[in-house]
Amino acid sequence: MSIRKIIHIDMDAFFASVEQRDNPDLRGKPVAVGGSSQRGVVAAASYEARKFGVHSAMPSVTAFKRCPEIIFVKPHFEVYTAVSKQIRTIFHEYTDLVEPLSLDEAYLDVTSNKKGMPSATLIAKEIRQRIKTETQLTASAGISINKFLAKIASDQDKPDGLFLIPPEKAEAFVETLPIHKFHGIGKVTTKKMHDMGINSGADLKQWELSKLMKIFGKSGRYYYNIARAIDERNVEPNRPRKSIAAENTFETDLATFDEMMVELEEIGEVVFNRMKKVEGVGRTLTLKLKYSDFKQITRSKTLVNNFDNLKLILEITRELLLQCDIEINPVRLLGLSVSNLAEKDLSSGDQLTLEF
Amino acid sequence: MRFIVSSAALLKQLSSINGVITTNPVVPILENFLFEIHDGNLKITASDLQTSMITEIEVEANENGSIAVPARILIETLKNLPEQPVTFSVEEESYSIEISSDNGRYKLAGENATDFPKVPTVTDGYSVTFTADVLSRAISYTIFATSNDELRPAMTGVFFKLDESNATFVATDGHRLVRYRRVDVAGEVSNSMIIPRKALTLLKSTLPADNSSVNIEFNPSNIFFEFNKVKMISRLIDERFPDYENVIPLNNTNIITIRRNEILSSLKRISIYANKSTHQIRIKIAGSELVISAEDLDFSNEANERLACEHVGDDIEIGFNARFMMEVLSNMESDQIDLKLDAPNKAGLILPKQNNDNEDILLLIMPVMLNNYV
Repeated sequence: MSIRKIIHIDMDAFFASVEQRDNPDLRGKPVAVGGSSQRGVVAAASYEARKFGVHSAMPSVTAFKRCPEIIFVKPHFEVYTAVSKQIRTIFHEYTDLVEPLSLDEAYLDVTSNKKGMPSATLIAKEIRQRIKTETQLTASAGISINKFLAKIASDQDKPDGLFLIPPEKAEAFVETLPIHKFHGIGKVTTKKMHDMGINSGADLKQWELSKLMKIFGKSGRYYYNIARAIDERNVEPNRPRKSIAAENTFETDLATFDEMMVELEEIGEVVFNRMKKVEGVGRTLTLKLKYSDFKQITRSKTLVNNFDNLKLILEITRELLLQCDIEINPVRLLGLSVSNLAEKDLSSGDQLTLEF
Repeated sequence: MRFIVSSAALLKQLSSINGVITTNPVVPILENFLFEIHDGNLKITASDLQTSMITEIEVEANENGSIAVPARILIETLKNLPEQPVTFSVEEESYSIEISSDNGRYKLAGENATDFPKVPTVTDGYSVTFTADVLSRAISYTIFATSNDELRPAMTGVFFKLDESNATFVATDGHRLVRYRRVDVAGEVSNSMIIPRKALTLLKSTLPADNSSVNIEFNPSNIFFEFNKVKMISRLIDERFPDYENVIPLNNTNIITIRRNEILSSLKRISIYANKSTHQIRIKIAGSELVISAEDLDFSNEANERLACEHVGDDIEIGFNARFMMEVLSNMESDQIDLKLDAPNKAGLILPKQNNDNEDILLLIMPVMLNNYV
C-alpha cells in the first residue's frame, strides 16, 4: 500500500463558537451550550469554560459549580447544520473521500485530490483559511498517513492549529504518546493498561499480538497495530453509523427508581445531543443496566417512527426502566443507545397512529 | 404406577396442547406435562399460567396416580419411536419415569405432580357456542392486527363483544384496526372481554376444520373453550379496550372500487422497491386510474404501476405502509373491495364489496403522511 494522505478537520468548540460568533455578548466568556433545565447537560463548552474543567456531557449543575459565571445558551441545531453544510462543501472541492464523523468533524483522504495539489499540508492550510473566511469560525487540522494519526494530530495544536505527523516520524511519535491520548482507548482500557504497566506507545509496543488479543479480544489487534502507527481503515464517505449511545458509571451505586431516572434524563439528553450532532435518527431505544455484581441486562423498544425528540426518548426510557428488576441489586452503570439508524430522509413520511 | 398407551395416539394428544409450553417458563415445573390417571383415563395438562390446555386419552393402567413429565424429552422420544404400545413406569417416591418400548428403555426425571400449578376453572360464568369454522374465521380475520406492544396490554389481545343480536371481534395495533362481526352468534346478555393473542393462536392451530361445536364459557377473569377432547382455559386481559367505534370514520366519501387480487399483487411488486424500513408506498387516484408507486432513494430504486378502478370523489394522493396494507388485503376473501378515503392524513377503510352471509367485516388502516420532496 502506497502512503496515503489523510486530513482530520475538527471545528474548535463548535456549538459554543457558533453561539459566540452570532452573539457578540458571549465572546471571551465561558459559555455552555445545552439544556438550561435543572437536569440539563452541557452539549458543548467554549474554551473559556473549558479552563474551568467544564466539558460536554457534563451535568449543567456540575458545570455551574465549577464555573459560577458560566452562561448557558440553548442550542441552535439548525444553525450548526447549516454551518456544517458550508464546511462540507469546502471539503468536497478538494476530494469526495470525505467521512463526516459528526457535524463538526471529518476525515478527508487527499492522496489524489481534485485540485492536483501534492501537499496535504497546503490543502489543510487552505481549508482552514476558507473555513475562517466563510464561516468566521476556526478549525484545527491534523495531517498524517492514516485516520488514527490524523485524528491525534488535529488534537495536538488545538484550537486554531495545524499539526503534521510525517510518515518517517509516525512510529516515534506514537512511542512517546501517553496511552490515554490514543483515540479508541477509553477510560476503562487506559486504567487496565496502566495496571499492566503500559503508559505510553513504547510500552504498548512491547506486548505481543497474541497477549493483547487474549486480554482485549478483537480490540487487541487494533492496539497492536496503532502502537506501530498502522491503521488501514479507509476514509469511507458513506459509512453507515449503527448506533448512538451514552452511558455513565456512578461513583456510588444507585438503588431507587427515581435516582436512576434522574441519571437517565441526563444520559438521554446526551444521546439526543449526539443524535443531533451526527444527524442520525433511529427507531430502537435500548436501555443498558449493569448491577453492582457486574451482571448486565438490556431492555429495548422499537417504534414505527423515529425517536426524534427528547421527550419521547425519556418517556420510553421510563417504560424500559419499569421493565427492569431494580430490586435485586444496586446499579453501577446506566446507558442508553438509539439504533436502527437511518439518515434523516426527507422522502420518508410519518406513519400515523389512531388516537385512542 | 404403570400404564400402557399407543405412542402415536399419545403423541397426537400431546402435540395438540404442547404449544402452550414456553421455553423459559416462570416456574420450571411448567416445562412439564401434568399426567393424571383416574380409572384408566389419562388427563394431560400443559400450562404457562396464563393459558392452560387439557386433553384426555384412554390408557391401560393398574392404578390411579399422577406425575409431572418433562415435555420436550417426552415429545422428542415419542416422535422418534415407530408406532407401538409403550409402557410408562413411575416410581412414586423418586418421581423417576421409565418408558419402555420394543426398541429399549428410557429413563427420565419427573417432578412431583402436586407442585404443578392449579388450573383455574370458570365458575359463575356465561356460555356461548360457536362452530369451529366460524371461530377460526373470526380469529384469522383479527389476530394479525393485534399489537406486540407489551406496554399497551389491552391491544395485545382480541376484543370479544357478545351482544343479544351479534358477536364482534376487534383487534388493533394503533396503525390498523379490524372489526369482524357475526350476526348468527349472540349472547343472552351483553358481555365483553379481551382474549390474549397466545390463546387464540393456539386455538386456531388446534381447532378442527369443520363445523363441530366449540363450547365457550367465561367469567370476568377467565375464558374456557371445549371441543373434541381438548379444553383450553385462558386468563383474560384485565384492561379497558380502546374506544374503537370512535375512531372508525363515517364520512369517507371518496370511494375506490377495485379488484382485490389486482391491487394486492401490484402492491407485492411495488413494495419490493419501497424503502426497506418504512415500506412506504404512495397511491394516487385520478379519475378512474389508480397509480401505486414507491421509491427508495438510498438505492435509487423506484417503481410504479397503473390500475383501473371505479372511483367516486375528488382526486387524492395518500401514503401507506405497504406491509400493513398487504396484510389487510390478504386476510380478505371478497373479489372486489371498496377503499374509502377522506384525506391523506385520515384513516382509510377497506371493505369487502360483498359480505358473506352473517358476516360484517371492516378494516381500517392509518396512512403514512407523505413529505412531498419534489
